[in-house]
Amino acid sequence: MVDLARVQKELQECNRDVEVSGIRVSPKADSLTNLVGTIPGPLGTPYEGGTFKIDITLPDGYPFEPPKMRFATKVWHPNISSQSGAICLDILKDQWSPALTLKTALLSVQALLSAPEPDDPQDAVVAQQYIREQNTFVNTARYWTEAFAKTSSLGVEEKVQKLVEMGFPEDIVRSTLEAVGGDENLALEKLCSA
Amino acid sequence: MHSDSIATNASNMPMASSNAKDFAKKKRMNRSAKLKQWKLDARREQWLSQVGIDTVKNKGRKEESTGRGIDGPLTQVGRRVRAMEKLEIRSRGEEENDGGSIHHDSDSKSPLNSPMSHTGSVLGGNDSGTNFTGSSSSSRSSSSSSSGGCCSGSMSEEDEDGEDGCLDDWEAVADALAATDEKQQLHANSLDTASEDKNVARFDSQPVSSIDISKAKPGAGASVDRTSVNCRAWRPDDAFRPQSLPNLSKQYSFPMNSDRHYACGASVWVCKNAASTPKPCPICYEDLDFTDSSFLPCSCGFRLCLFCHKRILEEDGRCPGCRKQYNYDPVEGEATLDGGSLIYRLTRSCSMITRS
Repeated sequence: MVDLARVQKELQECNRDVEVSGIRVSPKADSLTNLVGTIPGPLGTPYEGGTFKIDITLPDGYPFEPPKMRFATKVWHPNISSQSGAICLDILKDQWSPALTLKTALLSVQALLSAPEPDDPQDAVVAQQYIREQNTFVNTARYWTEAFAKTSSLGVEEKVQKLVEMGFPEDIVRSTLEAVGGDENLALEKLCSA
Repeated sequence: MHSDSIATNASNMPMASSNAKDFAKKKRMNRSAKLKQWKLDARREQWLSQVGIDTVKNKGRKEESTGRGIDGPLTQVGRRVRAMEKLEIRSRGEEENDGGSIHHDSDSKSPLNSPMSHTGSVLGGNDSGTNFTGSSSSSRSSSSSSSGGCCSGSMSEEDEDGEDGCLDDWEAVADALAATDEKQQLHANSLDTASEDKNVARFDSQPVSSIDISKAKPGAGASVDRTSVNCRAWRPDDAFRPQSLPNLSKQYSFPMNSDRHYACGASVWVCKNAASTPKPCPICYEDLDFTDSSFLPCSCGFRLCLFCHKRILEEDGRCPGCRKQYNYDPVEGEATLDGGSLIYRLTRSCSMITRS
C-alpha cells in the first residue's frame, strides 16, 4: 500500500517552493499513485528553455520502493530512451533510498540532463552520437527541446490554431487536445495515427 | 507488562508511591540542576575524604582498590574476588557497629553499578554487591560515572534535600552515622530490591535487562522506586531465579523484532536531549516519539522511526541515509561490554527525563 500521507506531504512541500526549484509535481487524476512531474531544462545545456514532463507511477511499496518515472516529453539524451522515455538512473533502481522524495528524484533527473552518462546508455544510438559527434548531438538535442519541450507554454487556442492550420478539423483537434491533456505533440501524433 | 504490574503494586503501597511522587516533584524542581549535581559530587568527595581520614582508614583503601579494578576491565575479575573478601570482612565489622542492616542493603545495590562485570554476576546479589562501594565511590571521586554512580546520584539528591547526614550515610555506603529515619530505610530497601531486579535481569541476558530499563524509563523519577516495589514480590530467591525471567524477556523481545538488533544496538539507545522537540520520521513523516528519537540504528546518524526501520530490515536492510547495510551481528564479547554501557546510558537518560 502506498503511503498516501507521505505522498500528500511530499506534494505540499514540493509545490511550496516551485519558484525556486522549478520542479512541480501534481496528481494526474484523483489517485495519488499516478503523478506528473515537470522539470525545467538545465541552463547551459541543449535542454535549456524546455519544460519536461515526467510520468510518475508510485508502486505499492513506495517509499520503500522507487517511484517509476518516464519522460512523457520526448528527449534526446544518452540515458533516456528517445522512443519510450525510459530513464536510466541508478537512484530510480537499485540505489533508491526511502529517504529520497519525488522532488529529490526529479532533481536527480534534472541533473542527469546536464550530465549525460554515455558509458551506461539507455539509448545506444544517442549515446553513440554523443561520443562520436558531439556537435550533432547538441544540435539534435536542442532541436528536440525546441520541438517537444517548449510548446506546452502555448495557450490552448494557439495550439488549436496551429493544428487546424495543419489541416485537421477544429472539433477533432479540440477533443484530441483535451484527451491528451493539452499536449500539442501528443495530439498531433494521435491525429496523424487516427 | 512489567510496568503495569509495577503500577498496581505501587498503588498497593501508598507509602512508596507517595514517596515516589515526592521524588518526581523534587526532581522536576531540580530540572536545571546539573550544576547542583556537581555541587553534590563535590560534597561527596569532601565527605569521602573526611571519612577516609577520620573514621575508616582501611575502607578508603579498599574502595580505591576496587575502583581500580573497574578501571581495568581485564583484571577486574581477579581484583573483584580480592575486594570481595575484604569487603565481606568489612561488612561484618559494620554489623557489629550498629546492626548494619542498612549497610547491607546499600551494599547489595552494587549490581546496578557493575555493568562491566557481567561475567561475575553469577555471584549472589549480596556478593556482587560488595563491588558497589568500590565502583560508586570511584565514580564519584574520579567523576567518571558508572551507571550506579549516576543513579545513586539522583537518588541521594532526593533523599536529603536538606540534611547532609543522610547524604553522607547513603552515599559512601558508610559504616557509622546511625541516624536513619524510616523514609530513608524504605528507600534503601527499595533500592536494594531494584538493584537485585536488574541483577537478575542481567542473568538472563544483557539485551533484556536493557529493555527492562528502557521500559521503566518513561515512568519518570518514580520509575526506579516503583520497580523496586514490584521486585519485592520475588525478591527472596531473586539471585537464583533466572527461570522466571525468560517469560518476561519473551514479552519484552516480542515487539522489538529481534534480540540481535538490540544487542547490536549497543550504541543504539543513546539518549537524545532533542526528545523534547519531536521531529518527523524522514520516511513516513510521522512524528518521532521518544523511543524513536532515542533510536540511532546507524553510525551515520540517520534517524527513523521503528516501524520504518523494521520495514527496511524486512527488505534490503540498508540505511536510507548512507545506503550501508545495517549491522546485524554483534561481536559476542563486545555485546557484554556494550550492554553495560547501554545500561549506563539508560539510567542517565532516565534522570534526564525527570529533570527536563
